[in-house]
Amino acid sequence: MTASPNYAAAPLMPDDTSPLRFDDGIPGFPDARSFLLVELVEDGVFQMLQNVENGDLALVVAVPWLFFPDYAPELSDVDQDGLGIERQEDAIVFCPVTIDADADRMHMNLMGPFVVNARTRVGRQIVLADQDFPLRAEIPRSVA
Amino acid sequence: MLVLTRKAGESIVIGNEVVITVLEVRGGQIRIGVDAPRDLAVHRAEVYQQVMAENQAAVVSAEKRSEVVRATSKLRLQAPGVSPAEPSDR
Repeated sequence: MTASPNYAAAPLMPDDTSPLRFDDGIPGFPDARSFLLVELVEDGVFQMLQNVENGDLALVVAVPWLFFPDYAPELSDVDQDGLGIERQEDAIVFCPVTIDADADRMHMNLMGPFVVNARTRVGRQIVLADQDFPLRAEIPRSVA
Repeated sequence: MLVLTRKAGESIVIGNEVVITVLEVRGGQIRIGVDAPRDLAVHRAEVYQQVMAENQAAVVSAEKRSEVVRATSKLRLQAPGVSPAEPSDR
Protein backbone atom coordinates (compact mmCIF):
# COMPACT_ATOMS: atom_id res chain seq x y z
CA MET A 1 0.00 0.00 0.00
CA THR A 2 1.34 3.38 -0.90
CA ALA A 3 0.61 6.13 1.53
CA SER A 4 -0.56 9.10 -0.43
CA PRO A 5 -0.62 12.67 0.79
CA ASN A 6 -4.28 12.00 1.58
CA TYR A 7 -3.01 10.66 4.85
CA ALA A 8 -2.31 14.20 5.90
CA ALA A 9 -6.05 14.73 5.92
CA ALA A 10 -6.44 12.16 8.68
CA PRO A 11 -6.95 14.11 11.84
CA LEU A 12 -4.40 13.84 14.55
CA MET A 13 -5.68 13.24 18.00
CA PRO A 14 -4.18 16.10 19.92
CA ASP A 15 -4.88 16.48 23.59
CA ASP A 16 -7.00 13.40 23.49
CA THR A 17 -7.13 11.57 26.78
CA SER A 18 -7.22 8.09 25.29
CA PRO A 19 -3.63 6.88 24.83
CA LEU A 20 -2.07 5.42 21.71
CA ARG A 21 -0.79 1.90 22.24
CA PHE A 22 2.64 0.88 21.01
CA ASP A 23 2.65 -2.70 22.23
CA ASP A 24 6.27 -3.37 21.27
CA GLY A 25 7.58 -0.04 22.49
CA ILE A 26 9.61 2.02 20.02
CA PRO A 27 13.29 1.73 19.04
CA GLY A 28 15.35 3.07 21.91
CA PHE A 29 12.42 2.84 24.33
CA PRO A 30 11.21 -0.76 24.30
CA ASP A 31 9.22 -0.32 27.52
CA ALA A 32 7.33 2.78 26.42
CA ARG A 33 3.96 1.37 25.43
CA SER A 34 1.42 4.10 25.96
CA PHE A 35 1.53 7.60 24.50
CA LEU A 36 -0.58 10.72 24.20
CA LEU A 37 -0.29 13.08 21.27
CA VAL A 38 -0.19 16.62 22.63
CA GLU A 39 -0.04 19.83 20.62
CA LEU A 40 3.21 21.71 21.15
CA VAL A 41 1.59 25.01 20.28
CA GLU A 42 -1.89 25.67 18.99
CA ASP A 43 -0.89 26.00 15.34
CA GLY A 44 -1.13 22.25 14.87
CA VAL A 45 2.28 21.88 13.23
CA PHE A 46 4.27 20.07 15.90
CA GLN A 47 3.08 17.62 18.49
CA MET A 48 4.70 15.89 21.42
CA LEU A 49 4.40 12.13 21.52
CA GLN A 50 4.18 11.98 25.29
CA ASN A 51 4.81 8.73 27.09
CA VAL A 52 2.18 8.13 29.74
CA GLU A 53 4.41 6.20 32.15
CA ASN A 54 7.33 8.63 32.07
CA GLY A 55 6.62 12.35 31.98
CA ASP A 56 10.17 13.08 30.84
CA LEU A 57 9.85 10.89 27.76
CA ALA A 58 8.28 12.92 24.98
CA LEU A 59 9.35 13.11 21.35
CA VAL A 60 8.75 16.02 19.03
CA VAL A 61 6.77 14.81 16.02
CA ALA A 62 4.92 16.26 13.04
CA VAL A 63 2.87 15.10 10.08
CA PRO A 64 5.41 14.65 7.27
CA TRP A 65 3.24 15.99 4.45
CA LEU A 66 3.20 19.46 5.93
CA PHE A 67 6.85 19.72 4.89
CA PHE A 68 7.37 16.91 2.39
CA PRO A 69 4.23 16.74 0.24
CA ASP A 70 5.70 14.06 -2.04
CA TYR A 71 6.53 11.68 0.78
CA ALA A 72 5.01 8.29 -0.08
CA PRO A 73 6.06 5.56 2.32
CA GLU A 74 4.92 2.07 1.51
CA LEU A 75 3.45 0.09 4.35
CA SER A 76 4.27 -3.60 4.13
CA ASP A 77 1.50 -6.19 4.25
CA VAL A 78 2.86 -7.32 7.58
CA ASP A 79 2.57 -3.86 9.11
CA GLN A 80 -0.76 -3.25 7.42
CA ASP A 81 -2.16 -6.50 8.81
CA GLY A 82 -0.48 -6.07 12.16
CA LEU A 83 -2.02 -2.67 12.62
CA GLY A 84 -5.35 -3.68 11.11
CA ILE A 85 -5.22 -0.89 8.57
CA GLU A 86 -7.65 -1.59 5.77
CA ARG A 87 -8.09 1.83 4.24
CA GLN A 88 -5.84 4.84 3.91
CA GLU A 89 -8.15 6.82 6.16
CA ASP A 90 -7.38 4.39 8.97
CA ALA A 91 -3.76 5.44 9.11
CA ILE A 92 -2.36 8.39 10.98
CA VAL A 93 1.26 9.07 10.20
CA PHE A 94 3.74 11.29 11.98
CA CYS A 95 7.54 11.40 12.10
CA PRO A 96 10.16 12.22 14.75
CA VAL A 97 11.59 15.72 14.63
CA THR A 98 14.97 16.79 15.99
CA ILE A 99 16.02 20.33 16.74
CA ASP A 100 19.70 21.18 16.39
CA ALA A 101 21.45 22.40 19.48
CA ASP A 102 21.83 25.90 18.06
CA ALA A 103 18.12 25.75 17.24
CA ASP A 104 18.35 27.12 13.75
CA ARG A 105 17.65 23.88 11.94
CA MET A 106 15.20 21.05 12.35
CA HIS A 107 15.21 17.60 10.81
CA MET A 108 12.54 15.02 10.26
CA ASN A 109 13.12 11.28 10.26
CA LEU A 110 11.35 10.06 7.13
CA MET A 111 12.90 6.60 7.45
CA GLY A 112 11.09 5.84 10.69
CA PRO A 113 7.49 7.09 10.62
CA PHE A 114 5.02 6.32 13.36
CA VAL A 115 1.85 4.76 11.96
CA VAL A 116 -1.28 4.56 14.11
CA ASN A 117 -4.60 2.95 13.34
CA ALA A 118 -7.07 5.76 13.94
CA ARG A 119 -9.85 3.36 14.94
CA THR A 120 -7.98 1.05 17.31
CA ARG A 121 -5.35 3.62 18.42
CA VAL A 122 -2.70 0.92 18.05
CA GLY A 123 0.55 2.06 16.47
CA ARG A 124 4.11 1.14 15.73
CA GLN A 125 7.19 2.80 14.39
CA ILE A 126 7.98 1.46 10.95
CA VAL A 127 11.61 1.18 9.84
CA LEU A 128 11.63 1.74 6.09
CA ALA A 129 15.09 0.34 5.45
CA ASP A 130 14.70 -0.31 1.74
CA GLN A 131 12.68 2.67 0.57
CA ASP A 132 15.46 5.21 0.41
CA PHE A 133 13.93 7.83 2.71
CA PRO A 134 16.34 10.04 4.61
CA LEU A 135 16.91 9.56 8.30
CA ARG A 136 17.44 13.29 8.67
CA ALA A 137 15.61 15.43 6.18
CA GLU A 138 16.03 19.13 6.84
CA ILE A 139 12.69 20.78 7.42
CA PRO A 140 12.31 23.64 4.96
CA ARG A 141 11.56 27.05 6.37
CA SER A 142 11.12 30.58 5.27
CA VAL A 143 13.97 32.97 5.94
CA ALA A 144 12.92 35.57 8.43
CA MET B 1 27.26 -13.61 23.92
CA LEU B 2 26.66 -17.14 22.81
CA VAL B 3 29.06 -18.01 19.99
CA LEU B 4 28.26 -20.84 17.58
CA THR B 5 30.10 -21.99 14.47
CA ARG B 6 27.90 -22.71 11.47
CA LYS B 7 28.46 -23.64 7.83
CA ALA B 8 26.41 -22.68 4.81
CA GLY B 9 23.10 -24.50 4.97
CA GLU B 10 23.15 -24.83 8.75
CA SER B 11 20.76 -23.07 11.07
CA ILE B 12 20.22 -21.74 14.55
CA VAL B 13 16.86 -21.93 16.29
CA ILE B 14 15.91 -19.17 18.73
CA GLY B 15 12.94 -19.90 20.96
CA ASN B 16 10.22 -21.88 19.28
CA GLU B 17 9.60 -19.72 16.28
CA VAL B 18 12.78 -18.10 14.99
CA VAL B 19 15.18 -19.93 12.66
CA ILE B 20 18.29 -18.25 11.31
CA THR B 21 20.01 -20.01 8.42
CA VAL B 22 23.41 -19.30 6.91
CA LEU B 23 22.64 -19.40 3.20
CA GLU B 24 25.94 -18.54 1.63
CA VAL B 25 29.44 -17.55 2.64
CA ARG B 26 31.43 -15.77 -0.01
CA GLY B 27 34.37 -13.44 0.40
CA GLY B 28 33.71 -11.17 3.34
CA GLN B 29 29.95 -11.54 3.15
CA ILE B 30 27.46 -13.95 4.61
CA ARG B 31 23.89 -14.27 3.41
CA ILE B 32 21.49 -15.04 6.20
CA GLY B 33 17.88 -16.19 6.04
CA VAL B 34 15.55 -15.39 8.91
CA ASP B 35 12.34 -17.30 9.49
CA ALA B 36 10.32 -15.51 12.13
CA PRO B 37 6.67 -14.85 12.93
CA ARG B 38 5.23 -12.15 10.69
CA ASP B 39 4.67 -9.75 13.54
CA LEU B 40 8.29 -9.92 14.69
CA ALA B 41 10.24 -7.06 13.16
CA VAL B 42 13.64 -7.98 11.72
CA HIS B 43 16.07 -5.17 10.91
CA ARG B 44 19.65 -4.68 9.91
CA ALA B 45 21.22 -3.55 13.16
CA GLU B 46 22.80 -0.38 11.81
CA VAL B 47 19.49 0.84 10.38
CA TYR B 48 17.63 0.08 13.58
CA GLN B 49 20.31 1.84 15.62
CA GLN B 50 20.04 4.94 13.45
CA VAL B 51 16.28 5.12 13.98
CA MET B 52 16.84 4.52 17.68
CA ALA B 53 19.36 7.37 17.87
CA GLU B 54 16.98 9.74 16.06
CA ASN B 55 14.22 8.85 18.53
CA GLN B 56 16.54 9.62 21.41
CA ALA B 57 17.50 12.90 19.76
CA ALA B 58 13.82 13.83 19.35
CA VAL B 59 13.17 13.52 23.09
CA VAL B 60 12.48 16.72 24.94
CA SER B 61 12.09 16.60 28.71
CA ALA B 62 9.22 18.43 30.38
CA GLU B 63 11.36 21.35 31.57
CA LYS B 64 12.89 21.84 28.11
CA ARG B 65 9.57 22.04 26.33
CA SER B 66 9.29 25.82 26.44
CA GLU B 67 12.68 26.01 24.73
CA VAL B 68 11.36 23.86 21.91
CA VAL B 69 8.33 26.11 21.55
CA ARG B 70 10.64 29.10 21.27
CA ALA B 71 12.89 27.32 18.77
CA THR B 72 10.03 26.34 16.48
CA SER B 73 8.60 29.85 16.60
CA LYS B 74 11.99 31.36 15.89
CA LEU B 75 12.36 29.23 12.81
CA ARG B 76 9.17 30.75 11.40
CA LEU B 77 8.35 27.56 9.66
CA GLN B 78 6.50 27.84 6.45
CA ALA B 79 5.14 24.51 5.40
CA PRO B 80 3.36 24.24 2.05
CA GLY B 81 0.25 22.88 3.75
CA VAL B 82 0.02 25.22 6.70
CA SER B 83 0.07 28.89 7.52
CA PRO B 84 3.23 29.81 9.36
CA ALA B 85 2.77 30.31 13.06
CA GLU B 86 3.38 33.81 14.27
CA PRO B 87 6.02 33.75 16.95
CA SER B 88 4.29 34.69 20.15
CA ASP B 89 7.29 36.31 21.77
CA ARG B 90 8.02 38.99 19.18
